[in-house]
Amino acid sequence: MIALKALKKNPFKSTLIFSSITIAVMAIFLISSVSQGIIGMYSKMIKTDGDIIITQKGISDTFFSNVDVSIMSKINTMPDVRSSYAMIVGASPVEHIPIAGIYGVSSNHFKHYKLTRGRYPKSGEVILGKNISNQIKSQMLKIGNKPYRISGLYESDIGFEEGGVVMNLKDAGVLFSRSSSYILVSVKLPNATDTLVQKISTLSDEIEVKTTKSFIQEYNQFKIIEKSSLVISSLAFLMGLMGITSIMSMIVNSRKEEFGIMRALGKTRLFIMKNLFFETLIMSFSAYVFALILSLGILATLPHIEMLQGYVNGSLSFTTALYVLVSTICMALLGSLMPAWIASKTDPILLINQGCS
Amino acid sequence: MIKVSNLSHFYGAEQVLFDVSFEIKEGEFIFLSGDSGSGKSTLLSILSTLLKPSSGELLLANSRVEDIKNIDVFRQENIGFVFQFHYLINYLSVYENIALAAIDSKKPKIEKLLQDLGISSLSSRYPNEISGGQRQRVALARALINEPKIIFADEPTGSLDSANSKIVYELLANALKNGTTVVVASHDMHTQNYATKTLKMLDGRI
Repeated sequence: MIALKALKKNPFKSTLIFSSITIAVMAIFLISSVSQGIIGMYSKMIKTDGDIIITQKGISDTFFSNVDVSIMSKINTMPDVRSSYAMIVGASPVEHIPIAGIYGVSSNHFKHYKLTRGRYPKSGEVILGKNISNQIKSQMLKIGNKPYRISGLYESDIGFEEGGVVMNLKDAGVLFSRSSSYILVSVKLPNATDTLVQKISTLSDEIEVKTTKSFIQEYNQFKIIEKSSLVISSLAFLMGLMGITSIMSMIVNSRKEEFGIMRALGKTRLFIMKNLFFETLIMSFSAYVFALILSLGILATLPHIEMLQGYVNGSLSFTTALYVLVSTICMALLGSLMPAWIASKTDPILLINQGCS
Repeated sequence: MIKVSNLSHFYGAEQVLFDVSFEIKEGEFIFLSGDSGSGKSTLLSILSTLLKPSSGELLLANSRVEDIKNIDVFRQENIGFVFQFHYLINYLSVYENIALAAIDSKKPKIEKLLQDLGISSLSSRYPNEISGGQRQRVALARALINEPKIIFADEPTGSLDSANSKIVYELLANALKNGTTVVVASHDMHTQNYATKTLKMLDGRI
C-alpha cells in the first residue's frame, strides 16, 4: 500500500517509468511477434503439401538455389510419393512497386492459390495476390522489362503471398535463370519420410534432401531473423533497464528524506528495498498489460496496411507473452536494484543534520 | 538506562566530541543544552544509535550498542525519536505515518494513542492538511507508539509557537510519567521546567 501511495505521490516520475517500460516492452513484443510471424509464414509456405524439401546442395538460401526439375519424374515413380511440385521463389520490381515476391509454381500447385477472379496463368500470364492487385489497375504488367498479362486474382492464407505475383514455373525459370528453387514432395505415409529422404538423395550429387521440419529448424534465414530479433529485443530490454535505473535514481534522490525517516524509525534496509521493488513491479506489470494491448492492436492492424503488402505479419504466442512478462519483471528488478540499494543505505543522520543547530 | 563512557567523535579530521562520559537513569527527563555547534545533535545521534561514535562505549537499556545484533529492530522496539521538523511522510495519512513506525503488536493501539494526544480527528488527514503544532503531536505519537524505553527529541519545539511548545513538553512529561526516559536537545530554556536533570554541552564536552 505504501508503494501505491508513493507512486501516486510522484505522478510525473511514475509516468516516466511507466512510459519507458511500455515502450521497451512494446518493442520486445513487436520485434518478437513480427519475426515469429515472418518465420511462421515462410514455414507454412514450405510445409503446405510438402513433407520433404529438395534444394541445391551447399546453398544457404532458397533464393540462390537451383534444382533441376527433371528429377521430379524419377521422384514421382517412387511408391511412397503422393505428389511433388517445384517452386521458384524470387523478388523483382513489379511496375511501380520497387520489390515484390514472384512465385513460379508447377501447375499442380496452382490450387494452393485460391482464385477470386479469372483463371490460373498460362505462359506469359500471371495472377496477382489480393494486396498487390490493389496497386495495379491495368490488365498488363511488366516484371523485369517483360510484359505479362494478368489472368486472375488470388487469395492465400499466407500473408506475404498476397503481396506477390504467381506465374507458371517455366516463365519464372526464364525470369530468374533457373530450373526451380526447390522441389517439395508429399509422402503417402509419414513413417516413410526418412526412407524417402535417403532414396531421393541418391538421385543427384547436386541436391540436398531434408524433411521440411528439419529444414525449417536449420534454415539459416530463420536463424538470422531469430538472432536479429533477439539482439533488437535485448537492446530494447537494455534501454528499458537504463530508463528504469535513471528515473528510479532520480526518484530515490528526491525521496532521501523519506528513506531517512524510515531508517530512523527502525525500518530495515530490506524494507526500503522491498518497497521500491514493489513500486517498480506495480509499474512494470501495468506497463506490460498496456504494452500487450497496444501490441495486439498494432499486430491486428499490420496486415491491413496496404504499403506493407502483407509482408509484415505478427504472430504473438502465449510463450512469447510469457517470455516478455518474465523479461519485464527482470527489467524492473534489475533496473531498480541499484537505486533501491542506494535508498536503503540512506543515513538517517541527514534528518538531524538538516535541523542541526 | 544510558551509560556513556569516554565517547569521542570526529567528522573527518575535526573532533566534535571529547571523551564524554555520563549516565542517565530510567525515568529521567534530560535537558541537553548548549550553543549551536556545541555537539548536542551529534551526541543525540550517537545516543539514538543513528551514528556510530569514533571511540568510546555506549550502553543502552543494559546492552552494549556494539553487541546489538539487529540495530534497526532494537531502535524500533526501544527508541522513539522526535525531530525538529516533524518529518512525517507526506503521502501517508496521520494514521499511516504512525502505523509505519508501529511494530505489529502495537498497531491496535494507534487509535487510543491518537485520542490520548487529542488528535484522533486528524487520523485520516495528511501532513499538509494539518498545522505545525498538530504535525509535531503526530510525530510525538509516532515516537510513542511502540512504548519505547527512551525518547530522543532534537529541538522538538524549534519550529513551534509557545502554546504548541507547551503541549509538546506536556506530552513528553506525560511519557515520562509512564516510565519512558526522555532526552531533549534544545535551545529552548523552557525545557528546564520539565527536566529532572540538565546536561550542558560546551565545545564537545559535558
